[in-house]
Amino acid sequence: MSDSEYITLVSSDGFEFVVLREAALVSPTIKGMLRSQFSEAQTGRCTFPEISAIVLEQVVEYFHYWYRNRDKEDVPDMDIPVELCLELLMAANYFNLDAKPAVRDAV
Amino acid sequence: MASRPNKIRPVRRPILNKETSEFEPCWDILKSALTDIHNKNASRLSFENLYRASYKIVLRKKGQLLYDRVKEFEEEWFRNHVLPPIAGLVSSNLVSVALLQRPGLSAHERRETGERFLRGIRDTWEDHNMSMNMVADILMYLERSYVSEARQPSIFAATIGLFRDHILRNNLDGVSEQLDQPLVMFDLINAVILDLINMERDGDIIDRNLLRQITSMLEALYETDEEPENAKLYLTVFEPRFLAASQSFYRDECDKLLREGSASAWLRHTQRRLQEEHNRCETSLSILTTDKIAQVVEQELIVAKLNDFLAMEGTGMKSMVDNDRHEDLSILYQLVSRVDKTKHALKHILQTRVMELGLEIEQTLKSTDFSAPVAGAEVEDVGEAGEKTKAQPLSAAAQQTAAAIKWVDDVLQLKDKFDNLSRVCFNQDLVLQSAVTKSFSDFINMFHRCSEFVSLFIDDSLKRGLKGKSDEDVEAMLQKAIVLLRYLADRDMFERYYQKHLARRLLHNKSEIHTEKELVRRMKAELGNHFTTKFEGMFKDMELSKDLSENYRDHVRSLGDADIKNIDLGLHVLTTNNWPPEVMGRSANQEDGGRAECTFPPAIKRLQESFFKYYLKDRSGRVLTWVASAGTADIKCVFPKVPGKESGPLSKERRYELNVSTYGMIVLELFNGVAEGESLSFEEIQAKTNIPAHDLIRTLGSLSIPPKSRVLAKEPLSKNVKPTDRFSFNAQFASKTIKIKAPVISSASKVEDNEERKQTERKNDQTRAHVVDAAIVRIMKQRKELTHTQLTTEVIGQLAGRFKPEISMIKKRIEDLLVREYLERIEGGTAAYRYLA
Repeated sequence: MSDSEYITLVSSDGFEFVVLREAALVSPTIKGMLRSQFSEAQTGRCTFPEISAIVLEQVVEYFHYWYRNRDKEDVPDMDIPVELCLELLMAANYFNLDAKPAVRDAV
Repeated sequence: MASRPNKIRPVRRPILNKETSEFEPCWDILKSALTDIHNKNASRLSFENLYRASYKIVLRKKGQLLYDRVKEFEEEWFRNHVLPPIAGLVSSNLVSVALLQRPGLSAHERRETGERFLRGIRDTWEDHNMSMNMVADILMYLERSYVSEARQPSIFAATIGLFRDHILRNNLDGVSEQLDQPLVMFDLINAVILDLINMERDGDIIDRNLLRQITSMLEALYETDEEPENAKLYLTVFEPRFLAASQSFYRDECDKLLREGSASAWLRHTQRRLQEEHNRCETSLSILTTDKIAQVVEQELIVAKLNDFLAMEGTGMKSMVDNDRHEDLSILYQLVSRVDKTKHALKHILQTRVMELGLEIEQTLKSTDFSAPVAGAEVEDVGEAGEKTKAQPLSAAAQQTAAAIKWVDDVLQLKDKFDNLSRVCFNQDLVLQSAVTKSFSDFINMFHRCSEFVSLFIDDSLKRGLKGKSDEDVEAMLQKAIVLLRYLADRDMFERYYQKHLARRLLHNKSEIHTEKELVRRMKAELGNHFTTKFEGMFKDMELSKDLSENYRDHVRSLGDADIKNIDLGLHVLTTNNWPPEVMGRSANQEDGGRAECTFPPAIKRLQESFFKYYLKDRSGRVLTWVASAGTADIKCVFPKVPGKESGPLSKERRYELNVSTYGMIVLELFNGVAEGESLSFEEIQAKTNIPAHDLIRTLGSLSIPPKSRVLAKEPLSKNVKPTDRFSFNAQFASKTIKIKAPVISSASKVEDNEERKQTERKNDQTRAHVVDAAIVRIMKQRKELTHTQLTTEVIGQLAGRFKPEISMIKKRIEDLLVREYLERIEGGTAAYRYLA
């Protein structure tokens, strides 16, 4: 299992995003991806064949936005391009960013 | 965001496309993945791919179907691949060892068998647990979106629960028949674990890690798939059995320890067991159990037979205390504090022991022969001739004094011992400290001479030792005095004795005044103002007298009166109330003759008159009484050359300075007028001086018996002075030293004999009667009306600081006050009184 500080997220159109592992772990989906024995955990490389680079870029930006502000109060809103709203909503759903952490994750 | 003019455009590229989002293709992907996961081939699968498959199924509202399919798949897998090897683990050997407790196998074999079985269970569990975690991970979207809405147990709980339902709760049919009760795998696991734990308790080394893994498994499994926090199998099944088994183990162990009969071994064993169980919970079981198992051990090993162990002959608490076995007592204290915050058992034994040892001191005192001089108990009778007479038996009074000092020393030693115990072993526990203090107070006050003895001890310490001692020693002595004082209940008795002893010390200048003052200052802090007013008055008198003497001396010098110049007067003017009656010449023995005024020699009389005149110049109307019994005089005397002696000290004229009591001075003055060779009889001397008979006996004794101060020759030569003896000037007297001190017996503080003691008590009771009267009147004046019981309680409360009045005395005083019409009875059912103004 790769323990690098960074992981790589790959979009459907082949763009690669190198993300701080800790930041990406805000998503339970990615967390699950990286903690088990699956190929993503071995390589540190997660491919998303149904997410375009435009959307994934916003997702990555959110990861870091969250990471930067994780211990702060009075956090400013993150700017989101209006035209991407729907797709981002679906992506957020896919990455489980709307869910409360499950009990099993907390352990 | 909400403020922006939003315009939602149609989705450019739908995330779901038809071909890949049908249920069956997705399920096929997942199904093959599940098989791979179980076969540990997950690393070639893409999590994203599987996650997306389940994600799509759920989005297409096929969640329930997926849930059922997965559950079905897992159940089947479990049945076909997991259960068969488990069945192989249950060997007949294992069953007979763990459940039937059949002998025949060595501990080693038993351990091996048990551990092999547990290892098998653990491996199966870990595989299952890991697979289920992975399955739950890829079905994450199902768990989150569907399961929580549908109010079903999570897929993880449902699949992990298979282990509980199909392994732990699997019936062991063969065994159940043999034992005639239904048994499941779980029972077998429990039995093996408990067996292993017992082996470890007996000293075997077992695989703690393995135990920990098995107990973690039990902690991860729940009674039902709903997984309520308090229904972990560990808590519901294993822990109660573990506690019950431990209880019976420790009960047996306690019996064994009791039979072995060593409390010391018991303490150490118990301490070790507690530590062991604590460690076991941390390394092998769960910290959830730490407190509970500690309670079991405490209950079985400490509480159950505590009193039996404490009472053990030779090793029990009594012997620990007696032999200062501090380590044992420390452990004991720690153990008992765990189970009983009031430490009742310890308290009880400590108190009894203090009482016993305290009464022993009194017993020893009675049986000890003080006729041999006790080292360090030198008293005034022996005085200057100490070295020579040390071998001689002490006088009765001196023996008593020695006894008093021994008693106090012993009590202090005992106190030190228990203080030490409290510090070293009992963590300065307040409950125990106050219990011990109470016992000390009890036994000290049971000894009826305590007040006198304590005062004597202080007297002795202040008179002897303090000169040349360091500040710390003085401090320690003061501290001791206060400690003892605190224990005394009858403080008025102490006050009486202390006043007497202090008077002697002050008048004879036997102690250092600043130490005396310091001690009284501390008493004041400890017992309050009224206790020390008399003592402070005495100090004040002493100071005023010193000034007065000096001023008078100046006055005389200025007068230039030749007659008086020869005699240097130093005197103490004492306020009657502050000083004890004995010192003031009003002692009971002299009551018959009123205040016997002795006849002073003319030279002294002139001096007295001169001083009196001087004194009244500033203070008219006062009366001065000369108390000869308390004073001393320095006399310069000349012994003429003895005719016929040509060599030696007698051949020359000898000048000595003689320090004698005032009475001694009066007597010697008398011999100035007696021609050489003539003698005076006892009666003649008494008639001329008017000194009370028993004082005269003592005075003459000091001048005619001890070789060092024999300035008078006595006829006949004997050790005692009798009223028939005759005395003459001893012209042969010679001494090596210029200054000679004639021992002054009256300055020695000694224990009262029974007669004196009764006197003192009677006087004290009289004083008490007045104090009680005053207290009653004070209370009634304030309250106007009170019932008898209320009044009694209040009186006792008011007087608690001074002494403990007897109920009968209070009753008597109330009756007396009724007669004297300070109070009147209120008619009615209960006894009550009204104050009459």
